[in-house]
Amino acid sequence: MSTVPTSAEAPLVCWNCHERTLGPHFCSSCGKLLQLPQGVDYFALFEMPRQLWIDRSSLEQKFLQLSWKLHPDKFVNASEQERELSLRRSSELNDAYRTLSEPVARVEYLLAIEGERKEGEKKQQAPPELLEEVFELNESLDELREAKASGEDLAELKARLEAAEKSFQEKLAEVDGELQAAAREWDAALEADRATRKKIMARLNELLNRRSYIRNLVTNVAKELAEV
Amino acid sequence: MGRIVGIDLGTTNSLVAYADAQDGQPKCIPGPYGSTLCPSVVSIDADGSIVVGEPAKRRLLTQPERTIYSVKRLMGRGAADVQNELKLFPFRIDPTSKNVIRVRLGEKVFTPPAISALILRELRNWAEAFFGDAVDRAVITVPAYFDDAQRQATKDAGKIAGLEVLRLVNEPTAAALAYGLHEKQRGRVAVYDLGGGTFDISVLKLISTSEGEIYQVLSTNGDTHLGGDDIDNLLQAFVHEQILQHDQIDFSPQGELAQELRRVLINVKHQLSEAKTAMLRFALPNGKVFTREFTRGALEALIRPVVERTMGPVKKALADAQLRPSDMDEVVLVGGATRTPLIRRTVQEYFDRKPHTELNPDEVVALGAAVQANILDRGVKNMLLLDVTPLSLGIETYGGAVGKIIPRNSTIPASAQELYTTGVDNQTGIDIHVLQGERELAKDCRSLARFTLKVPPAPAGLPRVEVKFLIDANGILQVGAKDLRTGEQHSIEVQPSYGISDAEIERMLEESIEYAEQDFAERQLIEARTEAESILTATAKALANPQSASLSVEERASIDASVAALKGCAAGSDYKLVRKRIDDLNHATEHLAELLMSSAVSTALEGRKLAEV
Repeated sequence: MSTVPTSAEAPLVCWNCHERTLGPHFCSSCGKLLQLPQGVDYFALFEMPRQLWIDRSSLEQKFLQLSWKLHPDKFVNASEQERELSLRRSSELNDAYRTLSEPVARVEYLLAIEGERKEGEKKQQAPPELLEEVFELNESLDELREAKASGEDLAELKARLEAAEKSFQEKLAEVDGELQAAAREWDAALEADRATRKKIMARLNELLNRRSYIRNLVTNVAKELAEV
Repeated sequence: MGRIVGIDLGTTNSLVAYADAQDGQPKCIPGPYGSTLCPSVVSIDADGSIVVGEPAKRRLLTQPERTIYSVKRLMGRGAADVQNELKLFPFRIDPTSKNVIRVRLGEKVFTPPAISALILRELRNWAEAFFGDAVDRAVITVPAYFDDAQRQATKDAGKIAGLEVLRLVNEPTAAALAYGLHEKQRGRVAVYDLGGGTFDISVLKLISTSEGEIYQVLSTNGDTHLGGDDIDNLLQAFVHEQILQHDQIDFSPQGELAQELRRVLINVKHQLSEAKTAMLRFALPNGKVFTREFTRGALEALIRPVVERTMGPVKKALADAQLRPSDMDEVVLVGGATRTPLIRRTVQEYFDRKPHTELNPDEVVALGAAVQANILDRGVKNMLLLDVTPLSLGIETYGGAVGKIIPRNSTIPASAQELYTTGVDNQTGIDIHVLQGERELAKDCRSLARFTLKVPPAPAGLPRVEVKFLIDANGILQVGAKDLRTGEQHSIEVQPSYGISDAEIERMLEESIEYAEQDFAERQLIEARTEAESILTATAKALANPQSASLSVEERASIDASVAALKGCAAGSDYKLVRKRIDDLNHATEHLAELLMSSAVSTALEGRKLAEV
């Protein structure tokens, strides 16, 4: 999931007591649950910088802590407005946790809030260095389908496809490794200038597209093989 | 405000439970027949009066065309969904059924939520009689693998029954709550829940934090058409075939004989959970008795396919939680069907761990519902339940494909936003089709809703509408839209693909109030008749006693007249009249009652009624 949460109305002023408040969860004057302040992204919600290496157990701790405060079960006897707010706030919290827990979704989300990746962007052209292999793979897949239709012996084709699947699996692991390296680079450059950061993000974006392409290939091959 | 209860609305049996005000421990409430299990059976009389539970179950044999069981299988389903069910169940679906099934019972037609509401109302009566106080809110459990329409139908049933449904809780999660409280379990828990008609597996993590206990569901899977019923169906088909071959007797799988066979076979199945062999004796219409000895081994060979079907979802749930069987700290068995030794063995072998069966598998879900009701009602601060959505939510995209926007096993509430714009100038509507399921094509997923997003006329691509899809804590979808250019919020009228409209619910709610009065009158009549019967028997017995010779002629005449009057009205439907005649007879027999007691105790028991002597 790579979408940005709905921008909330700026709640510099509490909806209930109309006092100015700092938030981000409860009004500092009257204690009522607040809307998520504008500009609070998933990273800010968990009070962490926009970095890509995240300690899973401290993320979980924070998630559970916030769940205690925001979950609709805690607002069953509250006013309708508060129940509505709690539903919204706790869904945002769950969406944020789901996104940040998953390394790839985390990168997609970061690029989206940095304006470097448009929603749903997935280039489906084959990366140039893979062209030849992809071509061969597609040929084998076609042959497999034909052979299946005419009831020929599939053993040799199957072996070829399994080899191809393995090769792409390795490539997937390779991309994941590169993605991790680029993520470390990003974390090291948190304080760097915009141009440096833009360059790293371009690299992350390219790796994401490559990964998504290879992953589709692997899924398709696995599906065909499962039907043999 | 009235009391709050937890309700397990089951395929075979339903239960109601409450949490003790002092220690928070949950308890099931017994009904008028002493059992905490209310058979999920509803029967409608020719005069329109309604019978629910045990007496309705007896009518399955005598009036099958006026009686319905396993209605849970029809909740949130369309007519096309239940074709297979209809082969084995004597449901008479009204021909007007399309996306909401309508069942014919006698002269009347009911939707599944309306029938479920009658069961809920019965349980509510049990609870009100128990508390001596009104009950107006409930937590109701649903199979974890129920989709949006099935959940909505359950919530509608609560509404029709006049209950505010504070929360729908997944059955395995409820069971984990009950066990967690009971056993003080911690760590990773797998809950295997095989009910009458549904199967669920949930993997949970029980976490102790400084604020209290968190029950976090990591993943869930299941099959809403797999349950103990399937075991019974297999058995029934097997024996049916044998009778056909052996005695050349074929009978309709929907008739009375089949119902009787099913009842006998369920009994044999239960015996085989305890004993190694059991005898089947079944009276055939040709006067012969079909006799067979069943061994546990033969039964297990027959039902193994059903047990194996449950293991697919078990493996998927573990895979989704990224855990292995050996990672589980505890395994819990829920649902009456898990009494089957083969199931216990299979689960034990798979997890290499003895499963928990300490709590009654029939009651544990209702107990958990009561715990959650208590958490919500009393604002219990030290427990929190985090559940997940069982199925991915998706939107139909070009070419009939599905774009997933909320993956399965996401913690709920969960939401997703999609941005929409127009493709042609002055386009005023964008069609949106929401689906649930894991398949890639829309036609293979469950349709939740279709709606048209209205946009003001503008050049193509200019409108920008953000649609927010939100799955609430009950697992039910809500949709909202916002025009990003104006900031205006739109409300969206979503007509569910399989559901009843709010107007129809209102109408059913009104009807059910009429039924409520009939229900009450019916219950009063049954109670009055039972009491009449017992006092008439007691009077006859007393009059046969030599002591009765001491009665005066007037007294004897008065008793005879009262007996005749009571007999004369007991078959009628006026319960107030029956009550009055009972009182008359009690009054007329006061002296007789005294005569029957030894003089020593008669003074102490003065004023007692004859039936109590």
